[in-house]
Amino acid sequence: MPDTPTRSTAVWVTVALGALGMVGVHVTLYLSYFYTPTQVTPGTLWVVTPDSGAPISLYESYRIFFIHLPSAYTTAACCGLTALGGVMYLLSRKPKWELLIVSAAETGLAVGAMVLLTGTLWADYAWGSGRLGSGWNWEARLTTMLILWLAFAALLVLRRAIDQPRQRSLATAVYGILLGPLYPLVSKAVDINRTSHPRSFSDLLSAPEIATTQRIASVGVVIALLSLVALRYTWNSVGNNLNTERAA
Amino acid sequence: MPTQPNAPAKPSAAAAFMALLGREVLVEWRTKSLISSMGLFALLCVVVVGLGARSLPSDDTLHRFVLAMLWVCTVFAAIVGLNRAAVADQRKGLIYALLLAPHDPALLYLTRVVSVLAFLLVTQSLMILAAIPLLKLTLFDDPLILAVIVMADIGVLAPGVLLASITGRARGGEALLTILLMPVIVPVFLGATGATDALQPGQDPAAATAYLLLLGICDAMFAALGLLLFGRLNEG
Repeated sequence: MPDTPTRSTAVWVTVALGALGMVGVHVTLYLSYFYTPTQVTPGTLWVVTPDSGAPISLYESYRIFFIHLPSAYTTAACCGLTALGGVMYLLSRKPKWELLIVSAAETGLAVGAMVLLTGTLWADYAWGSGRLGSGWNWEARLTTMLILWLAFAALLVLRRAIDQPRQRSLATAVYGILLGPLYPLVSKAVDINRTSHPRSFSDLLSAPEIATTQRIASVGVVIALLSLVALRYTWNSVGNNLNTERAA
Repeated sequence: MPTQPNAPAKPSAAAAFMALLGREVLVEWRTKSLISSMGLFALLCVVVVGLGARSLPSDDTLHRFVLAMLWVCTVFAAIVGLNRAAVADQRKGLIYALLLAPHDPALLYLTRVVSVLAFLLVTQSLMILAAIPLLKLTLFDDPLILAVIVMADIGVLAPGVLLASITGRARGGEALLTILLMPVIVPVFLGATGATDALQPGQDPAAATAYLLLLGICDAMFAALGLLLFGRLNEG
């Protein structure tokens, strides 16, 4: 079968990324609870609240960044992968690129939910009243991230609405390309008007233990989350082959 | 392949564009399909916004809220128009007949963007005329607002025409176009509402520059993607 080597490669990539990711997540969790300090003396983070600018003490709350930031990086990677898959599909018409778009969108949907959830929980503490959802204030970074998450869902809904496989593949590729510019918008959203979301984490990262843990989390957790793309790719590839064999 | 001596000459791109645009205008003139549906929808939106805001104090905040709501109405009126145009194209495979034209399919895309833009501008004129007395709208203190309107409309229609050609052949296409288009045009909506707000009396007009730049980037990017992808999307 012509695509067997590709699937075999995908399985190995999944296993390798998954194993590395598991190690990375465990090391990150260990460091974030037993290595980093509780009270961040130099690492207060300047947050512009909707009312006024003020530095806030982070205490234990900053530990959520070790999940939040890598999840955001992975969502960015998923957005880039959908655009890359779209371009490559239109150029080569190889089904593997369509699989990449779908896998990246599915993972982007799951990981984007983690970004929104962890971000909202922290915002409730940072500038909300502590009640669930009180930190959501419709500022540009939060809203654009939510829109990106909805766009991943829209791509998956689009695929379910088109029966003809060739049209479905083309539509997926085109919408994948249109998703591409959304993450740069999310990234630049902190520069639009006043924003509650921190513009920089440099204050926080000036504590060496936190900087080290953050670097390890940025690699380990991102690898773990990207292994989900590889897992979904392999899963979808097997599903496609089964459908082809059933139809034959 | 040698050209047959009696074969008609291929029309220039400009002539083909004018012919296709003429067809769009003629069809609209005869059916009144797009402007009537978009216009009626926009007028109903103005009434609904007025009803929703009737108990609010008539101050600067209300004025800015109304301006933002008019952009929401514009986006949904554009979606109504794009859906009607896409359904008409798919009926009896008309889109495939149009694609037989001896030119790049991008020309067909460009024609559709220009024609729906013209119809949307007519719709917006009606909506603004209705909003001036009903919503106490004062929109034209700064003529630059006209550029914002045209740029934002292009930013909505450039991806809209592309996506409508996808949803026209999908199940539940009309709802699907809204679902697909809204996330993509968020930067355009952000630019349009931001620039409109910055150009109001008492605001800093220099703040509009960044939003105009955002609109310009979105227009160029979406138009380029549409011109490149429309043919590939409709091939076969």
